[in-house]
Amino acid sequence: MVLLGAPRWLRSRLTDRFWRVQEVLKYARHFRGRKNRCYKLAVRSVRRAFVKSTKARKEKKRFLRALWITRIEAASLEHGLKYPAFISNLLKSQVELNRKMIADLAIYEPKTFKSLAALAQRRRQEGFLAALGDGKEPEGIFSRIVHHY
Amino acid sequence: MAVAAPTARAAALAPPLTARRFRFPLPGALPPPARAAMASFTKAAQQWATFARAWYLLDAKMQPPGKIAAVTAVRLEGRHKPIYHALSDCGDHVVIINTRHIAFSGNKWEQKVYSSHTGYPGGFKQVTATQLHMKDPTAIVKLTIYRMLPKNLQRRTLMQRLHLFPDDVIPEDIQKNLVEELPQPRAVPKRLDEYTPEEIAAFPMVWTPLPELDLNSHG
Repeated sequence: MVLLGAPRWLRSRLTDRFWRVQEVLKYARHFRGRKNRCYKLAVRSVRRAFVKSTKARKEKKRFLRALWITRIEAASLEHGLKYPAFISNLLKSQVELNRKMIADLAIYEPKTFKSLAALAQRRRQEGFLAALGDGKEPEGIFSRIVHHY
Repeated sequence: MAVAAPTARAAALAPPLTARRFRFPLPGALPPPARAAMASFTKAAQQWATFARAWYLLDAKMQPPGKIAAVTAVRLEGRHKPIYHALSDCGDHVVIINTRHIAFSGNKWEQKVYSSHTGYPGGFKQVTATQLHMKDPTAIVKLTIYRMLPKNLQRRTLMQRLHLFPDDVIPEDIQKNLVEELPQPRAVPKRLDEYTPEEIAAFPMVWTPLPELDLNSHG
């Protein structure tokens, strides 16, 4: 600092108040009412907004998973399968796609999703045959577990 | 929609977070719903087909109103589409005909009670399903669907996309919009008088009656 000595230090005034205020107001510009203009009100609202956004990060994960599940349910019903049957049979066939990827496939790759639904349906039928059949039919193809270790 | 469904799915690109109103991404902003943003020119028709609002027809004759309402509420919200998002207004129109001929199971016509209050003291009214149906043949289906929709501000908008008709008669302008008929949720059984004599004769005998108990023989 150029100002050496206490007397010169005490005579300086706050010069960057504008920017300190703008630092807070820039996060409040889209709020409703006076809290998008007036610093005293904005400080409180901006702090609450940040706290809410921090806490919402956990809820975002829950919300998105529920959205993916809704979308997968809609797409699998188009192919005649319900969501629990689809997901459980896909897992039993060792297709370990997560719900995010399956939902994106359902939107952008419809033919791939159709083949996934067909796979799940076939695995389901093989499960029924294994449970209800006499044991004379050969073991199902998609029911075979592949060990990668 | 049914014919082109597998191939007419979204070419919609989720737009980046630099949306219209904000100049910077908000902390903790959710990914925006897939909306009808600019896809390529060659994919424009596919995108319009994906995001268009379709009109469905549903025949409520001899159907339980609860099952009708479940199917309808899903269609009105848009939950039957893989591009569903609560904010993207992707629901469709549903036209229900023959609401006068809905069929409650059990004794619900006498036992089910619809309550309301006029707001004035002593204005609590309770009517049975039969009485309500006589007064207004579309009220039961309308109330059932209203109560099955999500309890938010969108509910009234979705109810405006529902069209109920007590009989087969549909106005011209609505009939022109219809795209697909939805299958009925309940398989209607045939009455005895709807079977032809050949079918009755061809039905296998479950048990052979004793000759003296046979009602057909005059003896």
